[in-house]
Parts: sequence; C-alpha cells; structure tokens
Amino acid sequence: MSLFDDLFRRKPASAQIAKERLLTVLVHDRVKLTPEDLAKLKQELALLIQRYIPSVNPDDIEVSLLREDTSDRLKADVPLRRALD
Amino acid sequence: MARVITITSGKGGVGKTTTTANLGTALAMHGSRVAAIDADIGLRNLDVVMGLENRIVYDLVDVIEGRARLRQALIKDKRLPELYLLPAAQTRDKDAVTAADMINLTNEMRNDFDFILIDCPAGIETGFRNAIAGADEVLIVTTPEVSAVRDADRVVGLVEAAEKGPARLIINRLNQRLVSRGEMLSMDEVVEILAVDPLGVVPEDELIVSTTNRGEAAVFNPASYAGRAYINIARRLNGENIPIMELTEQTTLMDRLFGGLFGRRART
Repeated sequence: MSLFDDLFRRKPASAQIAKERLLTVLVHDRVKLTPEDLAKLKQELALLIQRYIPSVNPDDIEVSLLREDTSDRLKADVPLRRALD
Repeated sequence: MARVITITSGKGGVGKTTTTANLGTALAMHGSRVAAIDADIGLRNLDVVMGLENRIVYDLVDVIEGRARLRQALIKDKRLPELYLLPAAQTRDKDAVTAADMINLTNEMRNDFDFILIDCPAGIETGFRNAIAGADEVLIVTTPEVSAVRDADRVVGLVEAAEKGPARLIINRLNQRLVSRGEMLSMDEVVEILAVDPLGVVPEDELIVSTTNRGEAAVFNPASYAGRAYINIARRLNGENIPIMELTEQTTLMDRLFGGLFGRRART
C-alpha cells in the first residue's frame, strides 16, 4: 500500500537499494578489482603503514572504492591513536 | 547518405529487437528510407518481430559470401514500402561474418537508405564487435534493473573504446507506478548512474506482447504507450526537438499524489 509505505516506511525502498548496489558494483567493474584483491590491498597497505606508524591498528584501516559525483576513488581511512604522553 | 545506427545492450532480453523493429517502422512511417539488419547470426528474431519470417529467401551471410545480391536478400515490409529487413542467417554462427564484412555491407547500402538500423546480438564478444563495426551511432537499450544497467555500463565503455561513442540511452519497460513507490529506478537515476544522454524512455506496456505475437510493430497501434514512446524516439533520432515528456496516463491518483511529494516523475 503506497500510503502506508510512504508514511511508515522503516526500510529504504528497493530502488534506493538497487542504486547503491549498482554504484558499488560499477566501481568494482570499472577498476577491475575483485573483493579478494581489495582485501589483499588492504592487508599490504596496513603492513606498509605500520612500518612507519607502528601504533596503527591494521583492523581499524578501511579501504573502499567509492563513486562520487565527479569521480570514482579509492579511499583509505587510517585512524591514528592519539598520543597519550 | 544513410546514418548507420546500432542498437545494443549487453544483457539479453531487454528489448533490442523490439526497439529496432519499432524505431525502424516509426522512421519509415515518417517518410525515411529504412533498412533493418539483424546481426544476431544463428539466433535471428528481427524477422518474426517484424512479421516477415515467411518471406526470407536469402540472408546476410548469403550476401556477404556472394550467393545473393543485396537486392535479392532485402525483404520489403508488408505495409511500408520504404522499410526493408536484411535477415540474419539461422544456420550459421557469428564467425561467418567479420567486422570488415559489416563495414563493407553498410557502406554498400548507404546510398539507398536514410537509416540503417543494426540489431546487435546480446553479449560483448565477436557478434557485438561486428555489429558496431559499421556504426556511426550507437543506442544502448536497458531496463531499470541492476543487472541490465550493469551490463549497459560495460557496453558504454566498450563503445567508447571502439570510438563509436558517445552512445545514447533508451530506458525500456519503465513502470511508472513502481517508480513512484520507490520500488524501481527512475529514468533520472539510471541516466545519472550511467552518465549517458537519454534518447527516450519506453513504458512497460502489455500491448507489446500482443503486437509482437502478431508480428506487428507497436507504433501502428495508437493505444500503445510503448508505441507512442517509440514514435517520439524516432522523431528525436530525426533531429526533432521533442522533450522527454511526463508520463501521467498510467499513474493512479495515489501515485500522482505521492509521486509528487516523495518521488520523481518518469517521462517518455
């Protein structure tokens, strides 16, 4: 029921889900990077960063492919621990 | 001199053949000389969609291999004297034709027609490459579904790489009721995702089933929403400036209310 759905919608409509899934899959298709490759990239990146910043926790690093308005990008988010000294 | 336009999609079953038949028919109705070529060798279907399957004597491969002249193989439409079909071979496969063959064939035909429409096979392999080889322009047909849009995106890239771009987009089988409810991607969303200029939207239309059953083009049926959309697309192809119109006929009051408040309008 359209009225009910629009007023009391709990989960996003399926078109929105379709759009998000498409945007993700298209970035991966275009860069030709499989999820396994992405995981490997993340692992190697974590090792590299740790060599210079030992306090970085590899589990905190997030690497993702993003599609934005003007460009697709590979984004690495590396949280740094605040120094406690 | 004809414009050679290939209709492609990547994914099968999204309406390439229906689109080729209806655009060809609509262009011929408006006075253009049109040839529709079925490039789906081994899986020909444009003949049955156009209702000409009983008239085939020679086919595309016969012409390329010199067993028949082009004039012998071209089948004149039942109703429109300026519409012709060049059928695909049914007993051969895609390797019977090369890209150079398609370029030579279309060049041979250019002087006798205003439009040469090529119905491309599904996929992105040899058949696709042959079908776009002779093209001046490429139209990509997609439906508002994840799988079809994904494949269309691949084809957009391949068309650009082959220097046949920029392709233009036809969004087929759009259900405005679902779009208004947020349960189907809208034209704007598909266009935004693919970043390709739209040439038109064709609404989902049950009449396509019955017209195709009969081997008649939907553009002959004034009651067909899809037929009207194809006529508009044909006019845009012809250079007419027809805005992509709002499609309100099929929407319910509820959809209109909530489509206006929450959703986007679809257009044809």
